[in-house]
Amino acid sequence: MIKKTDEQISIPMVVDVPFEFAAGQYLSRALTELRDNGKFFGVKCPKCGRVQLPPRIVCAECHVKNEEWVELGLEGKLKAFTIMYLPLTDPTTGKPHNPPFVYGSVQLDGATSVLDHLVSMEPDLDKIWVGMRLRIILRPPQERIGDLSDILYFEPLPGQKKPA
Amino acid sequence: MKRNVAIIGGGQTYHKARRHDVDQAELVNEAVRAALADADMTIDEIDLVLLGNMEFFEGVHMTDCWLVHGTGAYGRPGLKITTGGTVGATMVCAGIHHVASGLFDKVLCIGFEKQEEGDTGAILSGVAHPLWGRSMAGAAVGYFAMMGSSYMAAWGAKEEHSAMVAVKARQNARKNKYAHLKLDITIEDALNSRMLSYPIRMLDMCPASNGACAVILADEKTAQKRSKKPVWFRAMDTAHNEQFELDWRDVKTERPIFSKVCASRMYKKLGVTNPAEHFDVFEIYEPATWAELVWYEDLGLCGPGEGFKMIEKGMTNIDGPIPVNPSGGVLSTNCIGASAMLRIWEAALQIRGDAGEHQVPKEVRRAFTTAYGGTNWTVMTALSKTLDD
Repeated sequence: MIKKTDEQISIPMVVDVPFEFAAGQYLSRALTELRDNGKFFGVKCPKCGRVQLPPRIVCAECHVKNEEWVELGLEGKLKAFTIMYLPLTDPTTGKPHNPPFVYGSVQLDGATSVLDHLVSMEPDLDKIWVGMRLRIILRPPQERIGDLSDILYFEPLPGQKKPA
Repeated sequence: MKRNVAIIGGGQTYHKARRHDVDQAELVNEAVRAALADADMTIDEIDLVLLGNMEFFEGVHMTDCWLVHGTGAYGRPGLKITTGGTVGATMVCAGIHHVASGLFDKVLCIGFEKQEEGDTGAILSGVAHPLWGRSMAGAAVGYFAMMGSSYMAAWGAKEEHSAMVAVKARQNARKNKYAHLKLDITIEDALNSRMLSYPIRMLDMCPASNGACAVILADEKTAQKRSKKPVWFRAMDTAHNEQFELDWRDVKTERPIFSKVCASRMYKKLGVTNPAEHFDVFEIYEPATWAELVWYEDLGLCGPGEGFKMIEKGMTNIDGPIPVNPSGGVLSTNCIGASAMLRIWEAALQIRGDAGEHQVPKEVRRAFTTAYGGTNWTVMTALSKTLDD
């Protein structure tokens, strides 16, 4: 006779699965430019004219092939931001980012798309605002590996004041 | 639609942070049995079973196969669907397609999530492009925080407005016996809750819930014969966004983003010019307070930048002119694979007059639902009491 029990069994497990992700024709070319020349490129749709970042073979809206490569500025405008108070894990390294830290969506000059990254600054609401200008700080050339970690962070351009 | 389709039954589990008393099949079966009982049917009468949840949230794949005993799919056709946060509504739409086409008469749709069994933040980071942005994947909280900062900068809304949404949701949830977060909170409580990711505080965010929902769809002939209170689908639509683009985070965007495109197609199909007047209740997918305000605007319930004024005036309260989420919504209960289906089931309960304590205190003939999933898409449905509504 099996006896009824109130005990609830649950078993902890970790699933660790390796992947090797192909960047493809367009992203490989963009990441190579970033690694070797410290430059950002977008692709411009021949139909709608959106300059898309990261570069991709087809414009999603128009479904036509993107063929024009456009060099973007290393500066841009903050479109949205947050000050993060949670120790979120960086999924690419398994290590937590140290809170509090600022990150945001930046529209690089010349691009339609945004790029999300850390912003190196004090987590102070008086010093950060939507619309402020930022620039990209890259790793030194010899340390670049050809992925987005080649960007260390954005930093605010000096001499700006938060609009009243 | 080729054939009219109705919801003829449904059910849900109680939603909680801990459900270690059941495994996934046992959890799903609770909702399935509730739905069958509600429809006064047996599993033998079901022609097709659709199951959905978030990919890998519970650490297993192919839940359609190994939960067969819980879902009732043994020996009958079935599909698993996984479309992220929208999945519950996607399944209902797939069910509608199967019935409307004439291939099936009675379809059981099930959505579930046991969030406690996995690290949902870690798994969600897999939604981001591995080589472009994954290192900054800030789970859902960071995304909605950016939406909030953009909303405040664009329209001059204050944290108090998001707090009003937080309070409305949890006070409504107190009336819903199945809801997860039934909190007797004030605006002050919301404003004093822990900051997670500026401007999102603890009470601005949905919980991680465990639970399941199931609904039974049927063709017109079966519905008329078998159900005293069939609730009819009048329209449904889906719209996707493109990853990497300025979207919901930029609340002033003039791009044709998913939410606005989908709503305008829905209204066009239905011939609706004033949705706030046409529909009696809305059940929308708001994982964060700011998303609710943006939904008001994107659904055309008010003009751009006026969402926060609607909550300020109490217009979307349970007894207001445009009740939104009388159930407590996703902010009170988020068992993701079930959440979008719960919007539809709650809308059906309102139309049937069966919502109990959270029944809207006015006649409900027409309801509208939304779903939301990353990386930004939506599934919407419109339901009605009769085929003339």
